[in-house]
Amino acid sequence: MVRFFVIFLVLLAALFALELTPWAQTHLVIPWTNFLAKVSTAIVTMFDSSVIAEGKVIRSSAGNGFAVSIEAGCNGVEATIVLLAAMLAFPAPWKYRFIGLAIGFVAVQGLNVVRIISLFYLGQWNYTVFEWAHLYVWQALIMLDVLVVWLLWVRRVPPPGDRGAPPPSAPPALAAG
Amino acid sequence: MTGVAARPPRPLLRFVLITLAWLPVTFTVWYVLAPAILMPAELLIRGIARGFLPDLVRAIDSHDSVLSFVTTLRPGSAQAGGELTVDVNMLLYAFGLPLFVALTLAARQRPLWRPLLIGYVALMPFIAWGVIADFLKNIAITAPPLVASQAGFGAGARDMIAFAYQFGALILPAVVPAVAWVLTHRPFLEQLRGAWSARGAR
Repeated sequence: MVRFFVIFLVLLAALFALELTPWAQTHLVIPWTNFLAKVSTAIVTMFDSSVIAEGKVIRSSAGNGFAVSIEAGCNGVEATIVLLAAMLAFPAPWKYRFIGLAIGFVAVQGLNVVRIISLFYLGQWNYTVFEWAHLYVWQALIMLDVLVVWLLWVRRVPPPGDRGAPPPSAPPALAAG
Repeated sequence: MTGVAARPPRPLLRFVLITLAWLPVTFTVWYVLAPAILMPAELLIRGIARGFLPDLVRAIDSHDSVLSFVTTLRPGSAQAGGELTVDVNMLLYAFGLPLFVALTLAARQRPLWRPLLIGYVALMPFIAWGVIADFLKNIAITAPPLVASQAGFGAGARDMIAFAYQFGALILPAVVPAVAWVLTHRPFLEQLRGAWSARGAR
Protein backbone atom coordinates (compact mmCIF):
# COMPACT_ATOMS: atom_id res chain seq x y z
CA MET A 1 0.00 0.00 0.00
CA VAL A 2 2.82 2.41 0.88
CA ARG A 3 4.59 1.54 -2.39
CA PHE A 4 1.39 2.23 -4.31
CA PHE A 5 0.94 5.64 -2.76
CA VAL A 6 4.57 6.67 -3.28
CA ILE A 7 4.40 5.71 -6.97
CA PHE A 8 0.99 7.38 -7.25
CA LEU A 9 2.21 10.69 -5.83
CA VAL A 10 5.37 10.72 -7.95
CA LEU A 11 3.38 9.95 -11.11
CA LEU A 12 0.77 12.53 -10.16
CA ALA A 13 3.37 15.28 -9.76
CA ALA A 14 5.16 14.26 -12.98
CA LEU A 15 1.98 14.07 -15.08
CA PHE A 16 0.75 17.36 -13.67
CA ALA A 17 4.08 19.04 -14.45
CA LEU A 18 3.83 17.62 -17.97
CA GLU A 19 0.34 19.06 -18.32
CA LEU A 20 1.64 22.52 -17.43
CA THR A 21 4.27 22.55 -20.18
CA PRO A 22 3.56 24.91 -23.10
CA TRP A 23 3.59 21.97 -25.52
CA ALA A 24 0.91 20.06 -23.60
CA GLN A 25 -1.16 23.19 -23.14
CA THR A 26 -1.01 24.05 -26.85
CA HIS A 27 -1.50 20.57 -28.29
CA LEU A 28 -3.63 18.81 -25.68
CA VAL A 29 -5.24 20.94 -22.98
CA ILE A 30 -6.49 23.92 -25.02
CA PRO A 31 -7.87 21.81 -27.93
CA TRP A 32 -9.51 19.47 -25.44
CA THR A 33 -11.05 22.37 -23.50
CA ASN A 34 -12.40 23.90 -26.72
CA PHE A 35 -13.80 20.51 -27.73
CA LEU A 36 -15.46 20.22 -24.33
CA ALA A 37 -17.11 23.62 -24.84
CA LYS A 38 -18.38 22.46 -28.25
CA VAL A 39 -19.76 19.17 -26.84
CA SER A 40 -21.45 20.94 -23.92
CA THR A 41 -22.95 23.50 -26.29
CA ALA A 42 -24.14 20.79 -28.67
CA ILE A 43 -25.98 19.10 -25.81
CA VAL A 44 -27.44 22.37 -24.52
CA THR A 45 -28.69 23.47 -27.96
CA MET A 46 -30.95 20.42 -28.02
CA PHE A 47 -33.22 22.36 -25.65
CA ASP A 48 -31.78 25.90 -25.74
CA SER A 49 -30.85 27.13 -29.21
CA SER A 50 -29.53 30.49 -28.00
CA VAL A 51 -26.28 29.00 -26.65
CA ILE A 52 -23.04 29.23 -28.62
CA ALA A 53 -19.45 28.14 -28.08
CA GLU A 54 -16.55 30.53 -28.69
CA GLY A 55 -13.29 28.70 -28.03
CA LYS A 56 -13.46 27.61 -24.39
CA VAL A 57 -16.36 29.99 -23.64
CA ILE A 58 -20.01 28.96 -23.60
CA ARG A 59 -22.26 31.94 -24.08
CA SER A 60 -25.96 32.67 -24.14
CA SER A 61 -26.58 34.79 -27.23
CA ALA A 62 -30.00 35.83 -25.99
CA GLY A 63 -31.24 37.54 -22.85
CA ASN A 64 -28.57 38.23 -20.26
CA GLY A 65 -25.60 37.21 -22.44
CA PHE A 66 -24.23 35.11 -19.57
CA ALA A 67 -21.07 33.19 -20.36
CA VAL A 68 -18.81 30.67 -18.63
CA SER A 69 -15.18 30.07 -19.52
CA ILE A 70 -13.84 26.56 -19.01
CA GLU A 71 -10.58 27.09 -17.13
CA ALA A 72 -7.94 24.77 -15.68
CA GLY A 73 -9.52 22.56 -13.07
CA CYS A 74 -12.88 22.62 -14.88
CA ASN A 75 -11.85 20.73 -18.02
CA GLY A 76 -11.50 17.38 -16.25
CA VAL A 77 -7.85 17.08 -17.25
CA GLU A 78 -6.60 17.08 -13.67
CA ALA A 79 -9.21 14.51 -12.63
CA THR A 80 -8.12 12.31 -15.53
CA ILE A 81 -4.49 12.70 -14.49
CA VAL A 82 -5.37 11.58 -10.96
CA LEU A 83 -7.15 8.51 -12.36
CA LEU A 84 -4.28 7.76 -14.74
CA ALA A 85 -1.70 8.01 -11.94
CA ALA A 86 -3.80 5.75 -9.69
CA MET A 87 -4.21 3.12 -12.42
CA LEU A 88 -0.54 3.20 -13.40
CA ALA A 89 0.59 2.97 -9.78
CA PHE A 90 -1.59 -0.03 -9.00
CA PRO A 91 -0.13 -3.42 -10.00
CA ALA A 92 -2.20 -4.53 -12.99
CA PRO A 93 -1.74 -5.91 -16.52
CA TRP A 94 -1.47 -3.22 -19.18
CA LYS A 95 -4.63 -4.46 -20.89
CA TYR A 96 -6.62 -3.74 -17.74
CA ARG A 97 -5.01 -0.33 -17.45
CA PHE A 98 -5.92 0.65 -21.02
CA ILE A 99 -9.50 -0.57 -20.67
CA GLY A 100 -9.85 1.01 -17.23
CA LEU A 101 -8.49 4.31 -18.42
CA ALA A 102 -10.72 4.38 -21.49
CA ILE A 103 -13.86 3.69 -19.46
CA GLY A 104 -12.70 5.92 -16.61
CA PHE A 105 -11.98 8.77 -19.02
CA VAL A 106 -15.54 8.58 -20.36
CA ALA A 107 -16.97 8.42 -16.83
CA VAL A 108 -14.97 11.41 -15.58
CA GLN A 109 -15.46 13.56 -18.67
CA GLY A 110 -19.12 12.60 -18.90
CA LEU A 111 -19.75 13.89 -15.38
CA ASN A 112 -17.61 16.91 -16.17
CA VAL A 113 -19.90 17.83 -19.07
CA VAL A 114 -22.81 17.64 -16.61
CA ARG A 115 -20.82 19.95 -14.32
CA ILE A 116 -20.19 22.49 -17.07
CA ILE A 117 -23.81 22.55 -18.23
CA SER A 118 -25.14 22.75 -14.67
CA LEU A 119 -22.79 25.63 -13.86
CA PHE A 120 -23.84 27.46 -17.00
CA TYR A 121 -27.45 27.47 -15.84
CA LEU A 122 -26.74 27.89 -12.12
CA GLY A 123 -24.76 31.03 -12.96
CA GLN A 124 -27.76 32.53 -14.73
CA TRP A 125 -30.06 31.63 -11.87
CA ASN A 126 -28.06 32.59 -8.75
CA TYR A 127 -24.43 33.66 -8.63
CA THR A 128 -23.91 32.62 -4.99
CA VAL A 129 -25.13 29.11 -5.73
CA PHE A 130 -22.93 29.08 -8.85
CA GLU A 131 -19.87 30.01 -6.79
CA TRP A 132 -20.62 27.32 -4.22
CA ALA A 133 -21.18 24.66 -6.83
CA HIS A 134 -18.18 25.75 -8.87
CA LEU A 135 -15.61 26.16 -6.12
CA TYR A 136 -16.59 23.45 -3.66
CA VAL A 137 -19.38 20.99 -4.46
CA TRP A 138 -18.52 19.95 -8.02
CA GLN A 139 -14.85 19.60 -7.12
CA ALA A 140 -15.81 17.09 -4.45
CA LEU A 141 -18.24 15.25 -6.73
CA ILE A 142 -15.68 14.87 -9.51
CA MET A 143 -13.16 13.46 -7.03
CA LEU A 144 -15.81 11.08 -5.72
CA ASP A 145 -16.37 9.98 -9.32
CA VAL A 146 -12.65 9.30 -9.76
CA LEU A 147 -12.54 7.33 -6.50
CA VAL A 148 -15.54 5.20 -7.45
CA VAL A 149 -14.18 4.49 -10.94
CA TRP A 150 -10.85 3.47 -9.43
CA LEU A 151 -12.52 1.18 -6.86
CA LEU A 152 -14.59 -0.48 -9.59
CA TRP A 153 -11.47 -0.93 -11.72
CA VAL A 154 -9.45 -2.38 -8.83
CA ARG A 155 -12.25 -4.90 -8.35
CA ARG A 156 -11.69 -6.17 -11.89
CA VAL A 157 -7.90 -6.40 -11.76
CA PRO A 158 -6.73 -10.02 -11.36
CA PRO A 159 -4.42 -10.83 -8.44
CA PRO A 160 -0.69 -11.13 -9.25
CA GLY A 161 -0.82 -14.97 -9.25
CA ASP A 162 -3.80 -15.08 -11.55
CA ARG A 163 -2.63 -12.96 -14.49
CA GLY A 164 -3.79 -14.25 -17.85
CA ALA A 165 -7.07 -15.52 -16.43
CA PRO A 166 -10.34 -13.94 -17.62
CA PRO A 167 -11.49 -10.86 -15.68
CA PRO A 168 -12.82 -12.05 -12.31
CA SER A 169 -15.97 -10.71 -10.78
CA ALA A 170 -14.33 -10.49 -7.37
CA PRO A 171 -11.98 -7.65 -6.39
CA PRO A 172 -8.89 -9.56 -5.29
CA ALA A 173 -6.30 -6.86 -5.52
CA LEU A 174 -7.32 -4.24 -2.97
CA ALA A 175 -4.73 -5.49 -0.53
CA ALA A 176 -1.90 -5.44 -3.05
CA GLY A 177 1.14 -3.24 -2.58
CA MET B 1 -45.37 -19.11 -5.46
CA THR B 2 -41.81 -19.46 -6.56
CA GLY B 3 -39.07 -17.82 -4.61
CA VAL B 4 -36.38 -15.87 -6.40
CA ALA B 5 -33.02 -15.66 -4.62
CA ALA B 6 -32.48 -12.04 -3.68
CA ARG B 7 -29.25 -10.58 -4.93
CA PRO B 8 -27.05 -9.19 -2.17
CA PRO B 9 -27.13 -5.39 -1.98
CA ARG B 10 -24.70 -3.51 -4.20
CA PRO B 11 -22.17 -2.41 -1.57
CA LEU B 12 -20.41 0.29 -3.61
CA LEU B 13 -23.65 1.82 -4.90
CA ARG B 14 -24.98 1.89 -1.36
CA PHE B 15 -21.77 3.49 -0.13
CA VAL B 16 -21.87 6.17 -2.87
CA LEU B 17 -25.53 6.97 -2.19
CA ILE B 18 -24.89 7.34 1.54
CA THR B 19 -21.86 9.54 0.78
CA LEU B 20 -24.01 11.74 -1.49
CA ALA B 21 -26.65 11.95 1.25
CA TRP B 22 -24.04 13.09 3.78
CA LEU B 23 -22.42 15.71 1.53
CA PRO B 24 -25.05 18.47 2.01
CA VAL B 25 -24.78 17.99 5.77
CA THR B 26 -21.00 17.96 5.91
CA PHE B 27 -20.71 20.94 3.53
CA THR B 28 -23.15 22.97 5.64
CA VAL B 29 -21.37 22.18 8.92
CA TRP B 30 -18.01 22.85 7.27
CA TYR B 31 -19.11 26.24 5.96
CA VAL B 32 -20.79 27.39 9.16
CA LEU B 33 -17.97 26.27 11.45
CA ALA B 34 -15.10 26.94 9.04
CA PRO B 35 -13.29 29.57 11.14
CA ALA B 36 -13.08 27.12 14.04
CA ILE B 37 -12.51 23.99 11.97
CA LEU B 38 -9.70 25.61 10.01
CA MET B 39 -7.99 27.08 13.09
CA PRO B 40 -5.14 24.50 13.06
CA ALA B 41 -4.40 25.34 9.41
CA GLU B 42 -4.48 29.04 10.24
CA LEU B 43 -2.05 28.54 13.13
CA LEU B 44 0.22 26.55 10.84
CA ILE B 45 0.10 29.34 8.22
CA ARG B 46 0.91 31.94 10.87
CA GLY B 47 3.84 29.81 12.05
CA ILE B 48 5.18 29.37 8.51
CA ALA B 49 4.82 33.09 7.79
CA ARG B 50 6.62 33.98 11.01
CA GLY B 51 9.35 31.40 10.55
CA PHE B 52 10.03 31.53 6.82
CA LEU B 53 8.52 34.72 5.42
CA PRO B 54 9.25 37.40 8.04
CA ASP B 55 10.64 39.75 5.36
CA LEU B 56 7.41 39.57 3.37
CA VAL B 57 4.59 39.19 5.90
CA ARG B 58 4.15 41.79 8.62
CA ALA B 59 0.89 40.40 10.02
CA ILE B 60 -2.02 38.13 9.19
CA ASP B 61 -5.58 39.20 9.94
CA SER B 62 -8.46 36.76 9.73
CA HIS B 63 -12.12 37.43 9.12
CA ASP B 64 -14.44 34.47 8.65
CA SER B 65 -12.38 32.08 6.53
CA VAL B 66 -10.36 34.73 4.72
CA LEU B 67 -6.78 35.42 5.73
CA SER B 68 -5.42 38.89 4.96
CA PHE B 69 -1.66 38.88 4.60
CA VAL B 70 -0.39 42.35 5.49
CA THR B 71 2.88 42.51 3.60
CA THR B 72 6.00 44.61 3.91
CA LEU B 73 5.66 45.48 0.21
CA ARG B 74 4.51 48.82 -1.18
CA PRO B 75 1.58 48.92 -3.62
CA GLY B 76 3.39 51.15 -6.15
CA SER B 77 7.05 52.06 -6.16
CA ALA B 78 9.19 51.06 -3.23
CA GLN B 79 9.35 54.70 -2.14
CA ALA B 80 5.57 55.25 -2.19
CA GLY B 81 3.50 55.01 0.97
CA GLY B 82 0.77 52.51 1.87
CA GLU B 83 0.92 48.82 2.42
CA LEU B 84 -0.05 45.87 0.28
CA THR B 85 -2.55 43.36 1.64
CA VAL B 86 -3.33 40.00 0.00
CA ASP B 87 -6.57 38.19 0.84
CA VAL B 88 -6.75 34.40 0.52
CA ASN B 89 -9.93 32.39 1.06
CA MET B 90 -9.02 29.25 3.02
CA LEU B 91 -12.21 27.48 1.92
CA LEU B 92 -10.82 27.20 -1.62
CA TYR B 93 -8.23 24.75 -0.31
CA ALA B 94 -10.36 23.04 2.32
CA PHE B 95 -13.35 21.63 0.40
CA GLY B 96 -11.81 18.19 0.78
CA LEU B 97 -12.73 18.15 4.47
CA PRO B 98 -16.50 17.73 3.95
CA LEU B 99 -15.78 15.14 1.26
CA PHE B 100 -13.52 13.18 3.60
CA VAL B 101 -16.06 13.33 6.44
CA ALA B 102 -18.91 12.23 4.13
CA LEU B 103 -16.84 9.28 2.85
CA THR B 104 -15.91 8.33 6.42
CA LEU B 105 -19.47 8.56 7.73
CA ALA B 106 -20.71 6.50 4.78
CA ALA B 107 -18.11 3.78 5.40
CA ARG B 108 -19.14 3.56 9.09
CA GLN B 109 -15.91 1.88 10.06
CA ARG B 110 -15.55 1.65 13.84
CA PRO B 111 -14.19 3.43 15.77
CA LEU B 112 -15.42 6.40 13.77
CA TRP B 113 -13.36 9.03 15.58
CA ARG B 114 -10.06 7.50 14.54
CA PRO B 115 -10.18 8.03 10.74
CA LEU B 116 -11.93 11.36 11.31
CA LEU B 117 -9.10 12.56 13.54
CA ILE B 118 -6.34 11.19 11.29
CA GLY B 119 -7.92 12.70 8.17
CA TYR B 120 -8.51 16.06 9.84
CA VAL B 121 -4.90 16.28 11.03
CA ALA B 122 -3.58 15.03 7.67
CA LEU B 123 -5.48 17.63 5.65
CA MET B 124 -4.34 20.69 7.62
CA PRO B 125 -0.78 20.95 6.17
CA PHE B 126 -2.16 20.71 2.63
CA ILE B 127 -4.68 23.47 3.28
CA ALA B 128 -1.78 25.56 4.58
CA TRP B 129 0.19 24.67 1.42
CA GLY B 130 -2.59 25.97 -0.80
CA VAL B 131 -3.04 29.21 1.13
CA ILE B 132 0.69 30.02 1.36
CA ALA B 133 1.23 29.18 -2.33
CA ASP B 134 -1.74 31.38 -3.26
CA PHE B 135 -0.27 34.27 -1.28
CA LEU B 136 3.19 33.81 -2.84
CA LYS B 137 1.67 33.55 -6.33
CA ASN B 138 -0.11 36.85 -5.74
CA ILE B 139 2.98 38.79 -4.75
CA ALA B 140 5.53 37.07 -7.02
CA ILE B 141 3.61 36.40 -10.23
CA THR B 142 0.26 38.15 -10.61
CA ALA B 143 1.22 41.41 -8.85
CA PRO B 144 2.33 44.38 -10.99
CA PRO B 145 6.08 44.33 -11.80
CA LEU B 146 6.80 47.09 -9.28
CA VAL B 147 5.40 44.93 -6.48
CA ALA B 148 6.80 41.63 -7.75
CA SER B 149 10.27 43.12 -7.98
CA GLN B 150 10.12 44.11 -4.31
CA ALA B 151 9.36 40.50 -3.38
CA GLY B 152 12.77 39.60 -4.77
CA PHE B 153 12.04 36.18 -6.26
CA GLY B 154 14.20 34.97 -9.15
CA ALA B 155 12.88 33.22 -12.26
CA GLY B 156 13.47 29.75 -10.80
CA ALA B 157 11.72 30.61 -7.56
CA ARG B 158 8.77 32.06 -9.48
CA ASP B 159 8.48 28.82 -11.48
CA MET B 160 8.47 26.81 -8.25
CA ILE B 161 5.82 29.08 -6.75
CA ALA B 162 3.68 28.74 -9.90
CA PHE B 163 3.90 24.94 -9.73
CA ALA B 164 3.26 24.85 -5.97
CA TYR B 165 0.22 27.07 -6.46
CA GLN B 166 -1.23 25.04 -9.34
CA PHE B 167 -0.58 21.73 -7.57
CA GLY B 168 -1.97 23.13 -4.32
CA ALA B 169 -5.07 24.50 -6.03
CA LEU B 170 -5.94 21.93 -8.69
CA ILE B 171 -4.68 18.62 -7.33
CA LEU B 172 -4.10 18.50 -3.57
CA PRO B 173 -7.46 19.77 -2.22
CA ALA B 174 -9.32 16.96 -4.01
CA VAL B 175 -6.72 14.19 -3.95
CA VAL B 176 -5.53 14.39 -0.33
CA PRO B 177 -8.94 13.57 1.21
CA ALA B 178 -9.33 10.60 -1.15
CA VAL B 179 -5.85 9.32 -0.31
CA ALA B 180 -6.41 9.87 3.41
CA TRP B 181 -9.72 8.03 3.18
CA VAL B 182 -8.24 5.01 1.37
CA LEU B 183 -5.33 4.84 3.83
CA THR B 184 -7.62 4.97 6.87
CA HIS B 185 -10.21 2.55 5.50
CA ARG B 186 -8.34 -0.62 4.66
CA PRO B 187 -10.76 -2.72 6.79
CA PHE B 188 -13.75 -1.19 4.99
CA LEU B 189 -12.17 -1.82 1.59
CA GLU B 190 -11.51 -5.43 2.56
CA GLN B 191 -15.13 -5.71 3.67
CA LEU B 192 -16.19 -4.29 0.30
CA ARG B 193 -14.00 -6.89 -1.38
CA GLY B 194 -15.70 -9.61 0.62
CA ALA B 195 -19.15 -8.35 -0.36
CA TRP B 196 -18.09 -8.24 -4.01
CA SER B 197 -16.77 -11.77 -3.75
CA ALA B 198 -20.10 -12.91 -2.29
CA ARG B 199 -21.97 -11.26 -5.17
CA GLY B 200 -19.57 -12.80 -7.69
CA ALA B 201 -20.01 -16.30 -6.19
CA ARG B 202 -23.78 -16.25 -6.77
